Amino acid sequence: MASITTSVQRDSPRGSWGFRLGKLSPYLWILPALVLYSVFKLGPLIGGLVLSVLRWDGIEDPVFVGLQNFERIFSDDIVGLALTHNVLYALGTVTGKIVLALFLALLLNQGMRGRAFYRTSLFMPVVMSFVVISILWSWLYNPDFGLINSLFKSLGLDFLALNWLGDTDIALGALIIVDIWKWYGFHMVIFLAGLQTIPVELYEAARIDGASNRQQLRYITLPLLKPVMVVNVTLSLAGAFNVFDIPFIMTQGGPANATMVMAVHIYLRGFKFYRFGYSAALNYVLLVIVTLVSALQLRLMSSNDGD
Amino acid sequence: MDKINVVRQSPLTREDQSDPASKLTVQLSKLLPALLRHAILIFFTAIILYPVLWMVFASFKTPGEVISNIWGLPTSLNLDSYVSAWARANLGTALLNSLFVSVGTVALVVVLSSIAGYAFAKFQFRFRALILLIFIFTMQAPTPVIPLYVLFVKLGLTDSYLGLILGTASGGIPLSIFIFQAYFQSIPSELREAAKIDGCSELVAFLRVVMPISGPAVATVAILQFVGAWNDFFLSLLLIRSPEMRTVPLALQVFFYEFGRVEWNSVFAALSIGTIPMCILYLVLQRWFIQGLTAGSLKG
Repeated sequence: MASITTSVQRDSPRGSWGFRLGKLSPYLWILPALVLYSVFKLGPLIGGLVLSVLRWDGIEDPVFVGLQNFERIFSDDIVGLALTHNVLYALGTVTGKIVLALFLALLLNQGMRGRAFYRTSLFMPVVMSFVVISILWSWLYNPDFGLINSLFKSLGLDFLALNWLGDTDIALGALIIVDIWKWYGFHMVIFLAGLQTIPVELYEAARIDGASNRQQLRYITLPLLKPVMVVNVTLSLAGAFNVFDIPFIMTQGGPANATMVMAVHIYLRGFKFYRFGYSAALNYVLLVIVTLVSALQLRLMSSNDGD
Repeated sequence: MDKINVVRQSPLTREDQSDPASKLTVQLSKLLPALLRHAILIFFTAIILYPVLWMVFASFKTPGEVISNIWGLPTSLNLDSYVSAWARANLGTALLNSLFVSVGTVALVVVLSSIAGYAFAKFQFRFRALILLIFIFTMQAPTPVIPLYVLFVKLGLTDSYLGLILGTASGGIPLSIFIFQAYFQSIPSELREAAKIDGCSELVAFLRVVMPISGPAVATVAILQFVGAWNDFFLSLLLIRSPEMRTVPLALQVFFYEFGRVEWNSVFAALSIGTIPMCILYLVLQRWFIQGLTAGSLKG
């Protein structure tokens, strides 16, 4: 295309060529980034649609099977289980992170001594990899020699010394705690930034009107924190549906699928059972959910701007 | 800071008229909440710090001591675990691999997304809004695993630095563009106009005038991408087959699966080697790290 344009424009005045290029030029600026993103992000998102109508183990020739892979999703018991776990994981992590982070942010926002120390320490797990955190926690949870059970035993709380990752009833909860551990400092920092944007005058005015601390929290702080609340909730919500590293490394979805989540299921279908087509189809279930979360975020954000 | 004073003064003003005895209790009750607040904060900080410190302690213990002396400090500085972990998990190579991939990713993302972010900030063009919308809607979407894998196989990019760099960088592009765009929008257009009047082309104005004052945005994007690439596990798991190409997270996971049941002290040594460089970097540059890693969420 470009070569045609140049040859045609060759003997026309410089101005018009510059004009043409000027119109094209914004696209030239974004082109490299767009190409990279299109090939490696949009490519698989779209190419997956092709794969999802095939039966293919990655070695033999693929066979076209129409919508069979999507039909099979409904009869796959693990899908329902995994989605339920994702929802529970989302409920647990979002609630845990938000409540804890907001609580700590409100405490820290009162101008305490050692504020910088608390902030720096609480944020630290953010720079640690999920792999390190998962392995570390696997040992903390060790039923016989782990830090947690040895703590409970030394406190005489033997009934709390559980088989954290081996018990199907609590394994998912144990993973949720790890996820909260990694991120509560992160969300706290975001809440702190939000708290700092609230004008002091509002509190002064409220105090003159005789509002108690609790009323100030209820009628000033929380409503004005709504934008950062939306950010925190949607970030952790999307994270909960995409979660892979923690369950993959700590439990591989076990015991007895008790911690099986969608991303792990998709990975195992593909690389353990070589169901390439089916694994690709499964991805779109997750994709729909995460896209809904993004849409919700966008909606809530823009309704904030309107206020 | 002013906010704090305001909140603190409120009980005092009311209690000024009361007798000395109640003044004392007021002082105490003021002190107690402060103590209580510190106690709560220390508790939640200890929950974070202790396991990390404990991991480092345990790396110096002997295998028997890891089990017998669970809480305490190591009785001696046993460095065998480090020697063993370094050799068997091939950590030297893994650290270099991670460094190549992280630096490569940062360089690629900074260059591509600053140029693109500038266009989104300063130019008007037809599909601007549409392209931004595509970014917003797809950036959090889970990339289909198998299609991604097949793509890398077809391009011959498995088991290579380039594959890891391209894969990691592509994921970071949208957010980085948004960060640059927001920053460039805050730069007055007069700067660019002045440069253009002086005869600079748009590109020269961008490179000579805009980029030199864009350090903060570059730092933000660089930290965000560096931490992301350094800690990435999933793409390495997907693409890397040969042991000498493993990045740190993958090397740690493989080591954990092979030796996690027998030699915990070596596992902790490996974890410490894998974590400490980043943690030190974080402590030195903490302001920048916290600002950079929360940038995406605070842009609003």
